[in-house]
Amino acid sequence: MKIVLKTGFWILAAGLLFAACTPEAKKDLGASRNILESLAGTWKLTKATQVDEDAAKKGFPFKELDITSLFPYTNFVLTLNLANGAPSTFSTTPGSSPKIIKLTSGNWAVDNAEYPKDITLTSGTTTEKVTLGGYPVGALTTLKLKAERKDASTGKLLISYSYEFAKQ
Amino acid sequence: MKKLLSFIFLIVAGLSVNAQNPTFSPSIFNAEDQVTLTIDVTGTGMAGAVDAYIWIFSNPDLGGGADGVTNGSWGNSSDAAKMTAAGTNKWSFTFIGTTLFGQSPAQLKSFGFLVKKKDGSAQTPDYKPYFFDPLVFVPTMLRVFPAKVGADDVVTVNFDRTYGVTPNEQRMTPVSATVTVYDETGSQVGSPLTVSIRNTASTIWSASFIPSVSFTPGTGHKLAKFKYKFNGTVLDPSGASSNVSSSETEVVLTTMQ
Repeated sequence: MKIVLKTGFWILAAGLLFAACTPEAKKDLGASRNILESLAGTWKLTKATQVDEDAAKKGFPFKELDITSLFPYTNFVLTLNLANGAPSTFSTTPGSSPKIIKLTSGNWAVDNAEYPKDITLTSGTTTEKVTLGGYPVGALTTLKLKAERKDASTGKLLISYSYEFAKQ
Repeated sequence: MKKLLSFIFLIVAGLSVNAQNPTFSPSIFNAEDQVTLTIDVTGTGMAGAVDAYIWIFSNPDLGGGADGVTNGSWGNSSDAAKMTAAGTNKWSFTFIGTTLFGQSPAQLKSFGFLVKKKDGSAQTPDYKPYFFDPLVFVPTMLRVFPAKVGADDVVTVNFDRTYGVTPNEQRMTPVSATVTVYDETGSQVGSPLTVSIRNTASTIWSASFIPSVSFTPGTGHKLAKFKYKFNGTVLDPSGASSNVSSSETEVVLTTMQ
C-alpha cells in the first residue's frame, strides 16, 4: 500500500512539473516599429551636453557640462527627409547657434535601415557622422544624437557632445 | 626687399621646424606610459656629434622636480642615458616617466631635457616643458574643461579661488576672463578676448568661448594655443576697490578628427 502511495505521489509531482513547463500562448508583438520614419521630420535642438571622455574614463570630478545656455544652441534646426521610406536629403539651419553639424545640406544615410546606429551626412565629398543616442519612437519623442571628437594623431576619444532634439 | 623676405622666411621656417621638434611617440602619454622622444639637434652645439646623452629632469619651473635616474654626473653621463641614433643629427630615447624620475603620477606634471656629450663638453639648449597626460586629478586655481580641446570645441576656463597662490588670487572677486590666442608660429591671432564669467560654485568662476568662432587665423595658419587669465577686484585697506588679475596659463589646442 505504501509503495502504491509513494508511486502515485511521484507520478502526480512529475505531472505537475510537466504542466508547469507548458509554454504560454505567444502574445502579439504589434506592428514593427519603423525607425526611419520616426527620424524623418524637422527637429529643433533643446539640450546640448559636453562630456570630457578622458576625465570620465579616469574618474576625475569634472566630467560633464550642460552647454545649452552658454551659446544659442536652441536655434539649431535639423531636417531629415525620406524618399520612398529611405533616407534622402537633409538640411541644417544653425541660426545663431554653433554649427554642431557643419554641412548645411546634402544626403543622409544610416548604417542599418532596421536598427540604425550611425547617421552619415554627406555633401559632395565631405561627410559627417553622428551616432543615434535614442530613437524617437513610442512614448519617446526626443531625437538624441551624439558626436565624438578624437585626437587626430592617436584616434583617442577625448570629447563627446550629446544633443537632444524635439520634433517641430 | 628680397633680403627682408628671405629673412622673414627663415624666421618662419625656423619656428615651424621648432614647433615639430622634438616629436613623441605616442603623441599623448601619461607618466606610466612608455614614450619615445626623438630630437633633431641640427643647429645646436650637438650637431655632428657621434654620441649623444640625455640630461632629463621633471617639473621644470613648477617645483617638486627630480633629475632622471639615468643622468649620472654632468662630466660623466651614465651609459643608461645614451641616446639611440635616429638619422643625421637625430637622436631618440625611450622611457617611462615614473621609472625615470622615481616619482608618482600625481607628482609628475611635466619634464624637460637637453642633449649633451658624455663629458658635458657640448650640449643643446633646454627643451621644455612637455606635459604628461594626468592620471590623477590635481585641483588647481586655473583649469580648462574639457582638459583637451580643439579649436572648434566649447572651451570653459575656470578659476577656483580656493587654490589661489598669491594674496590677490586668494581674495579677488573675478569679473571677467581674458583669452589670447596664438597660431602655430607663435604669432598672436587678433586681439585678446574679454569673456564674461559666471559663478559656478562658491569659489569657482567660469567663462566659455569657442576659439574658431571668436578668432580667425591668417590665411594658411591655424589656431594652435591660447593663454587665459581671470580679472577681478580686491578691496584695499581703505576699502577702495582695485583691479587685479590672476597669473596666466597656456593651453595647447589638440588637432581633432
